Amino acid sequence: MKPTAAQRKAMYSDIVRSREFDDRVLELYFADKMPVFDLAKGVIPGEIHSSHGQEPCAAGTMPHLTLEDTITSNHRPHHHAICRGLDLNKLAAELMGKKTGYCAGKGGHMHIYSVEHKFSCSGIIAEGMGPAAGVALANKMREQDGIAVSYMGEAAANQGAFHEVMNMAGVYTLPYICIIEDNNWGVSVSKKASTAIERNSERAASYGVYGEYVEDNDCDLIFEAMSRCVDRARSGQGASILEIQTYRLKGHMHGDQMAYVPEEEVAAMKDCVIEYRNKLISEGVLTEKEAEEIVSQQKSEVDAAIQFGLDSPYPDPEDAFQNTYAGVSK
Amino acid sequence: MVEVVIPNDMWEEDLEGVIVTWIYKTGATVSEGDVLCEVMVEKSQSDLLAPATGILTIIEDAEAVVKRGQVIGRIE
Amino acid sequence: MSSERTLTVARAGREAVMWEMQNDPSVFMLGEDVFAFGGVFGTADGLGEMFGPDRILDTPISETGFIGLATGAAMAGMRPIVELAFVDFIGVCYNAIVNLAAKHYYLSNGQVKVPMVLMLGSGGGYNNGAQHSQSLLASLAHMPGSVVVTPSNAYDAKGLMHSAIRSDDFVIYSGQKKVAGVGMLGTPIKTSMSVVPDEPYTIPFGVANIVQEGTDLTMVGVSWTVHQCIEAAERLQSEHNISVEIIDPRTVVPLDRDAIFDSVKKTGKLLVADEDYQSFGFTGEVIASVVERDPSVLSCAPVRVANPDLNIPYSRPMELRVLPTADRIVEESKKMLGL
Repeated sequence: MKPTAAQRKAMYSDIVRSREFDDRVLELYFADKMPVFDLAKGVIPGEIHSSHGQEPCAAGTMPHLTLEDTITSNHRPHHHAICRGLDLNKLAAELMGKKTGYCAGKGGHMHIYSVEHKFSCSGIIAEGMGPAAGVALANKMREQDGIAVSYMGEAAANQGAFHEVMNMAGVYTLPYICIIEDNNWGVSVSKKASTAIERNSERAASYGVYGEYVEDNDCDLIFEAMSRCVDRARSGQGASILEIQTYRLKGHMHGDQMAYVPEEEVAAMKDCVIEYRNKLISEGVLTEKEAEEIVSQQKSEVDAAIQFGLDSPYPDPEDAFQNTYAGVSK
Repeated sequence: MVEVVIPNDMWEEDLEGVIVTWIYKTGATVSEGDVLCEVMVEKSQSDLLAPATGILTIIEDAEAVVKRGQVIGRIE
Repeated sequence: MSSERTLTVARAGREAVMWEMQNDPSVFMLGEDVFAFGGVFGTADGLGEMFGPDRILDTPISETGFIGLATGAAMAGMRPIVELAFVDFIGVCYNAIVNLAAKHYYLSNGQVKVPMVLMLGSGGGYNNGAQHSQSLLASLAHMPGSVVVTPSNAYDAKGLMHSAIRSDDFVIYSGQKKVAGVGMLGTPIKTSMSVVPDEPYTIPFGVANIVQEGTDLTMVGVSWTVHQCIEAAERLQSEHNISVEIIDPRTVVPLDRDAIFDSVKKTGKLLVADEDYQSFGFTGEVIASVVERDPSVLSCAPVRVANPDLNIPYSRPMELRVLPTADRIVEESKKMLGL
């Protein structure tokens, strides 16, 4: 299924929104940590893993998912959260550790939870797979419609959890899609150096599930491939591995200089925000003016969200003691 | 006398770095090639090596903000 | 001949690794991002260039797999050093640690050794969230069959690393990230840096260091909390003229229970500080070790200053509230001393 013009404009808008957000976060991150760099300092502390370059993997896949469907994300969640439609204000506030954030400051950047959007993330590699497959299992058992999707990187396929969960997805014919964002780098180790085969999508054969590889970081191609996987999941045909070639334009986390990436590879990296815009304009889906309007609109929404975060209060230190248990009191 | 200088190619771009820590004190004898101090730019840390053998005098202390080409000590 | 050098913990530990690798071809390192990146917390900086990809192995993200592999290599007579960036990741490889590496020697009745070092980055305090800030010391120390080393300063870091690599036992080397002295976590803690000899030397396991002698109160810290105790003790001395004795066990397994007991016998008061979750851990173990030997040495109830039994929150005011900081140690000490 190909995307309509309206869907393509929406995907462009999503990747712009995600990029604007990541750009502002990057700016803020470094602004107040210098000169004696301290991860603990500043408005956005800790380690941030931005989604620069990988936005199409979320923008192209999310349009097929409804609020009945469940998503688990990983340590690089911003594009997933934004393309899923999470509230930018609460997202920004959570990154800043504010009381108004999605988790009132408990979770931070790698642990964004939105119940309304059936969205959660985990910072441990590949560990979003089990829970997503588990929701798929629960939905199947209760004969409910929702499917489940997990997002991870190509290096995560070398985790034991990948093998165990995909095998069970096959055994139980789960309505589950494992989306792999292949940016070629697991922190500083290339795919070739860490993975015995070229494409993780081919591992689908080991599990009796469907596998597909999208060779380009293009929203339209990703959209089409995802529609095939979603159709299978919704019609009882079971699980898929959808692997997408994408680009990690920045380091693994902010501050990583990417010194280990060969220069030719850096030069060859494509920037989807520029590429997709050019594509849509050349095909007459968007005019320059419309594109500018989209950028300006997203910029102002992101600015407002960042300001919301900055203006929001921090939690009370004693809030740390709340919500350790649901039913037990100490 | 040889100056201890932040090399011009220690990092790219015209950023400021900071001396994280000195391994030797003023008055110490150092040998050419010894790691004298650790310098950090953004999140990258590099070692600064002694350009000569002799007695070290520190000019910029730990936590000092430094630029490429800046003199931070001397060896006599 | 160069003068004495003051090193950070990370640099001192690396020096020991370098020397051992230069002098013993059976030593090699494996882990994620060790070769080009130098390890996530600088534990392998420069080693890739020095020793090449055949002795500094980048692994896939397959912890249970590569710890199993390292165990096998150790059983075959090599001396692998595994670099597991975050202790929180033991979640995906605990079986390889507890049921393989820690058990082969005993189950074979001493026939099969596992001379392996497992390096871990532990602790938080820099807003990295619940899955990347844990100490999990109790989970490591609790299972029999492994030595657990927790250096708090550069001098100990180098000596204990030499001992760890040369040891025929499975050694877990737990490096607290803020104690390491890597620049990205701010200025290194002054008391973590020490004058370190050029030549190799070893420090025996099971021998605590008496950081400072005192008469009114015994503080036992581990790794990062040793420095919190030092800061707290300075304030207690200058503001209230209290003389504090600080014990740094240096190795949690084996634990120098004698040194701790002798100190409490002298002072009568015991405060234990640990960044791990409070219950079922180091603080309880230290107190139990004293009480079961002779409870009458205590003139008042012992006190624990640890992370409370909850997951570590991300937001700065909440995380600072739960950490066993010098502030909390001072406050608890004053209560103990009736101030």
